[in-house]
Amino acid sequence: MSDEIDMPETEEFPAEVEIEAAPMMSSDEGADEIMAEEMPPADAPLTEDAPDMAAPDTETPNTEALDLDALEDAVQVDPSLFERKPEAPPFSRYVLTTPLHLSVAAESRTNLWTQWNGFTTPDILTSVDDEYRALRHAAALSDISPVVKYRISGRDAAVYLDRLVADNVLALSIDEAMPVVFCEDQGYVVGDGHLFRLGESEYRLVTEETHLAWLLDSALGFQVRVEDVSATLAAMSLQGPLSASVLAAAGFREIETLRPFAARWFDVGGMPAYASRTGDTGGLGYELWIDPEDAPMFWVRLLDRGAPFGLAATGFKLRELARVEAGIPRAGRDYLGAFAAVDPADASTPFELGLAALVDLDAAHFTGRDALRRAKGRPPRHLVVSLALGFPEAIEFGAVHCNGRIAGIATSTAFSRSLGINLAVARLEPVSVAAGAVLNVEAELRDGFSIRRVSVPARVLTEPALVLASRHAVPAPLISNY
Amino acid sequence: MLLADRSFDAIVIGGGHNGLVAAAYFAKAGRRVILLEAAETLGGAIATGEISPDYRISTAAHLVEAVPRRIEKDLKLARNGLRFAARRLPTIALARDKRHLTLSCRRQDLTALKQWNPREAAAYVAFSARMKSYASAIRPLLESAPPVPGDIMSDASSIFRKLAWTARRLGRPSFEALLRAIPESMGDLVDETFEMPVLKAALAFEAIRGTSEGPFSPGTSFNFIYRRAMRHETMGVSLPEGGLGGLIDALTRAAASLGVVIRTDTPVKKIIVENGVATGIETDAGEILLAPVILSSADPQATMLGLVGPAHLDARLASRLAHMGRGGATAKLNLALDGLPSIPGLAPAEYGARLLVVPSLQELDQSFASFKRGEFPFEPPMEVLIPSVADRTLAPLGHHVMSILIQYVPFDVTGGWAGQRDRLLDRVIETLSIYAPDIRQRIIAGEMLLPSDIEAKFGLQGGDWHHGDLRADQLLMFRPAPSLARYRTPLAGLYLCGVGSHPGGGISGMPGRLAAELALTERRRA
Repeated sequence: MSDEIDMPETEEFPAEVEIEAAPMMSSDEGADEIMAEEMPPADAPLTEDAPDMAAPDTETPNTEALDLDALEDAVQVDPSLFERKPEAPPFSRYVLTTPLHLSVAAESRTNLWTQWNGFTTPDILTSVDDEYRALRHAAALSDISPVVKYRISGRDAAVYLDRLVADNVLALSIDEAMPVVFCEDQGYVVGDGHLFRLGESEYRLVTEETHLAWLLDSALGFQVRVEDVSATLAAMSLQGPLSASVLAAAGFREIETLRPFAARWFDVGGMPAYASRTGDTGGLGYELWIDPEDAPMFWVRLLDRGAPFGLAATGFKLRELARVEAGIPRAGRDYLGAFAAVDPADASTPFELGLAALVDLDAAHFTGRDALRRAKGRPPRHLVVSLALGFPEAIEFGAVHCNGRIAGIATSTAFSRSLGINLAVARLEPVSVAAGAVLNVEAELRDGFSIRRVSVPARVLTEPALVLASRHAVPAPLISNY
Repeated sequence: MLLADRSFDAIVIGGGHNGLVAAAYFAKAGRRVILLEAAETLGGAIATGEISPDYRISTAAHLVEAVPRRIEKDLKLARNGLRFAARRLPTIALARDKRHLTLSCRRQDLTALKQWNPREAAAYVAFSARMKSYASAIRPLLESAPPVPGDIMSDASSIFRKLAWTARRLGRPSFEALLRAIPESMGDLVDETFEMPVLKAALAFEAIRGTSEGPFSPGTSFNFIYRRAMRHETMGVSLPEGGLGGLIDALTRAAASLGVVIRTDTPVKKIIVENGVATGIETDAGEILLAPVILSSADPQATMLGLVGPAHLDARLASRLAHMGRGGATAKLNLALDGLPSIPGLAPAEYGARLLVVPSLQELDQSFASFKRGEFPFEPPMEVLIPSVADRTLAPLGHHVMSILIQYVPFDVTGGWAGQRDRLLDRVIETLSIYAPDIRQRIIAGEMLLPSDIEAKFGLQGGDWHHGDLRADQLLMFRPAPSLARYRTPLAGLYLCGVGSHPGGGISGMPGRLAAELALTERRRA
């Protein structure tokens, strides 16, 4: 691992080839072409092992000398570099791809795709079983660039966020993250997500849905800048018991010392990466926030270094499965944001979503505080809970019955392979959650062309179905030599 | 006197008429009240000023329209020196052909109209009766705090249901006409009812005066009904002696005699908020004053966003307040004249009337069109008053002062006001000359206040006299914002008592009275 320092320069070549092949979303395609002309070895095949050992001593000084010469002959600058390219009109593209799209596509064995926030995302890359095995027993890598990322900076960033979210933000220290929920005036949840503090007055808010209008509306009277950096920041999620080991092998020094919800900058082969110990899978896991230009290189590097540990690239379906196992409701699927809910009865307070821990009613004023103080005393109108169904194979169901009456709906369902049961995130009437209520779902079982209807008893979970000790372990479990 | 030496039960921010009324009502209940005014004098836009020595005039607002008898009696305004130079001022629409039209339901005026145009006279009587019945139907809403949905005492839906019942008693055709009149534009309403251009224009002008809406803007006929209801039915528009400053002087004396401590020249810097409770204020000078009740008669936006600050408010409320519809479209011109201008066609007794210069509905709409383009109209619609006819104290013997409200003057004119101020003045005088040919020779001195001057001078944001445009979507339970509609704010102890609250504009004192009464009952309960 010690010879890592020399490697980056040589490593970049194969990755660079990858990037050229990709019709990137970024505007400097011209620059890529120029680089291709300057570097004849572009025709080098994608042999990942070769450049490592080939001839680092001869290659590196040569390119440096060439670069210096090129600088001397600055007259030869291509004028086309400075030509203004007509900008694509906004919303001219409806099929959006992440900076990692081609890298991810290369891993797909199924060609099963879905969309996530408008971005083309793999649903399943190999098979859910294989991916799940990697997630729970090794490490699972996925491209989470479609999550919505906001950069919030400026003098009043901290107080602005403190007014925005329902928890005390001022206590958050630099390089730490916290789960947050934010409400509108009536106390209904607008969205939830994670808030990262990047600097003295620089934050990043990561959410499932877009909230720019609400964030800008809330900024009135605060000296704060809110930018949507979703397109200019790539994100990867590496989850699983061996994720720390994979990152350590990939050059993230002392990654194991990172506490849950802490984050730090790493220098990985000359490329900066911001890694945070976050992720909604209920176990050990990390999320990497990187420059989109570097993202394909990171992807290759992680797959490469992670292969001995059993790392697998995974898709969106696994993310959903892991989330249901961890009992985390997702905005837009398990609950509607206050502005998406046409009928106010569809909107939810944080208490109804089981997010009461993210609400501090004694904190300084935040939007919806007064309404939530009133809501706290009222009985909930519905509850979003986790359900466990004792049935040994995957079933599909929607309605949840309580004493023969429909009492709610299962909004996300999944079959947990490690627990051998079906799980659901469901939205139920409060009565049916109370002790003593008998819940069951009706499922149709297909077997070829025959169909069978079964009634499966359901049970409300008071804590997530899957909580792994590794989630909180410090230092994170590390297997350095596999 | 150090303010901190004394403790008060209430602090009133702003010494306009609503602030004075609120302070006086609060003090009347035996509470110790202090009133803080930023300017050197009380009254805000209700003031009497001097155009030049010995020529005194109401600087901005020039008529008292809606102060109810109840406030006059409760605060003993007559005993505190309020005298009226004229009450029930008639309204006369000036016509280019010198056949001026008196808008009133008095017998002799109607007879005159009947001789002129019998059909129109009948239509006018019917129209007036109809509007009066609508106005009296909504009048109860204006005499109490606005109904809000879900409130135990005055639930909006039950009140509106009751209102529908009352209205249905008007009979089926009339009920339908009411349903239609609410969203209709005043222009359309008068256009189908009348045929005389001057009459149409004058009635439409009444609906849009002081707002930034056009005669054909939807909902303006509701404005007309609302104003009709606001206007004190028994007394009409009236003119206090000594200009509108007379009203403020009487209110000040009434408040002072009730024990209100009045401090002028004391701008409030911020309202101190502790854990969702407004506990006091800090003045510009750094003095801190604590009181369990704070009543602000300042603009709702200035109070909530400026003095309290968005950090203490919910985001939606803050953004709603920031986007309040402003109706700053009125400029004021005050002239000192060396004699009564001659207006051909006007009887000598009619010079003291409220004169409207709005020749036709089409011209009014065109004026609105130029206002929307950011230009001032070529022949601006105006409301002209010669208060010195009724009140001899305003000008030297034989001389007069003239007070002109100019409608549809944009806050920001295309090309900037620097070069166009004189052009507007010239257009106004030129337009007046059509009706009073000798006006130009009679002018001795004058002052003009553009909407921007009104903002600077009286702190009326956007030059809006009403702290938020008076239009259907900003009235009743929407004034100034749904969650602020009943004078309460999300901060316990802070109340809004200015014209930005229900029932709003015109000089009524009602928001001040209702807010003070609400604050008092809440204090007693607490």
